[in-house]
Amino acid sequence: MKNIKVKIILAIESSCDETAAAIVRINGAKAEILANVVSSQIDIHKQYGGVVPEVAARHHVINILPVIMEALQKSRVNKNDLDLIAVTAGPGLITSLIVGVEAAKALSAAWRIPLLAVNHMYGHIAGNFLQPILFPAVCLVVSGGHTEIVVMKDYVNNKKIGQTVDDAAGEAFDKVAKLMDLGYPGGPIVSAKAEEFINTNSKFKNQIKLPRPMLDKPDFNFSFSGLKTAVLYAAQKLNPKEKKSRTSEICHEFQNAVIDVLVGKTIKAAKKIKAKTVLLAGGVAANKKLRESLKAAAEEKGFKFSVPEFKLCTDNAAMIGLAAAQIIRNKKVPLDNYKKIVVDCGWELN
Amino acid sequence: MIKKTHSEKETYDFAKGFAQKLMGGEVLCLIGDLGAGKTAFTKGLAAGLGVKGIVTSPTFVLMKIYDVHNRIKEMAHIDAYRLSGGQELINIGAEEYFKDKQCVAVIEWADRIRDIWPKDCLKIYFKILKGDDRIIEIKK
Repeated sequence: MKNIKVKIILAIESSCDETAAAIVRINGAKAEILANVVSSQIDIHKQYGGVVPEVAARHHVINILPVIMEALQKSRVNKNDLDLIAVTAGPGLITSLIVGVEAAKALSAAWRIPLLAVNHMYGHIAGNFLQPILFPAVCLVVSGGHTEIVVMKDYVNNKKIGQTVDDAAGEAFDKVAKLMDLGYPGGPIVSAKAEEFINTNSKFKNQIKLPRPMLDKPDFNFSFSGLKTAVLYAAQKLNPKEKKSRTSEICHEFQNAVIDVLVGKTIKAAKKIKAKTVLLAGGVAANKKLRESLKAAAEEKGFKFSVPEFKLCTDNAAMIGLAAAQIIRNKKVPLDNYKKIVVDCGWELN
Repeated sequence: MIKKTHSEKETYDFAKGFAQKLMGGEVLCLIGDLGAGKTAFTKGLAAGLGVKGIVTSPTFVLMKIYDVHNRIKEMAHIDAYRLSGGQELINIGAEEYFKDKQCVAVIEWADRIRDIWPKDCLKIYFKILKGDDRIIEIKK
């Protein structure tokens, strides 16, 4: 076993429908992104209203090596300069994860560079690590497949204290978009419709009211399944003509309901653990209204607030590199570690 | 078998009891609209089988597998909401769980994948009545 002082990391991410590779350089206490390449399959999966695992896997196979080579070229880093390879090993779609993990293992063995498995959700959180964070912190992680509140003692010690008991927030956006016939992915579309409602002087100002599920419960869990059903009932009450003209109103109220619950519970958790910082992460953190609302609520209560820039919110490999940069500060990665790495599609944060 | 329930809790409890009758190897095809009680039924079923932890929606990943430390070893929770046919489920290996005698497979929105229903599957229909009243019908 050889302890290697890490300076340059190649990070690989293929947990869902984005094939991604990045080069991250550690420079003292700071980490910087030298290249961040993402090949998205959104256009391919649009027709299915969601990611189709087997189709995604086929595209990962085609894209994985070109994406890795592009990241090396863009950063002008030679493979001989690499000190570590980091790869997302879960959670995610098993058929997608396998492509990135097996590619990383092959490169680790062939290039003789140690390989580290990184949790995708921790990666999302690490999108915040370009700037120093004051701990303890509470992080709200929201994506298409997850909605979690994570308490962080420091960069690497974290504990999940709450999660959705049914649908993830991003999934609720997708389902609402589908039942309102708006298309896929639902997040940006529903959010744009909500914005449209704010910008028009509708005569139906906020007449539709939706519930704020679990907001008053003492725990830190979420539920969005019932909210989606409430949207369906609200839409069913309208005649076809009204449904069309009032779609933006429903989207506006739906988005507000989701954000009220996400913000309310996160701030409650931050107060409870006497956090110094509130973090936001995950694909849904790209939602402008959520970013603004959580920032305002956190700062009003005296917490510092951090959210990654947009391109580090949706799936990417730079966040996996930033996560690895923190993990290896306290952990040695042996050269033959690749032999032990297996995909874990249900890998939970502790 | 036909059962009328009057609340989500009652649907959950009914499924929890129903789980005791399962031997392993069953494929349960759940059919019903949004809000009809498929999720409540699945959560109750999981509790009845002895699944520990929270059963969350598998819509995003299509299938989630839960360990059961019992005569039944696993519960496969499948969601066909996004699908228009069964081929995609076959591609991710769902059929292996249908044939496994130590596994119970439960498929939400099963009407979307009729093409791959096993011959001996149990069809469970959910109908929304007034308010929170639901009719649950189980057919061979």
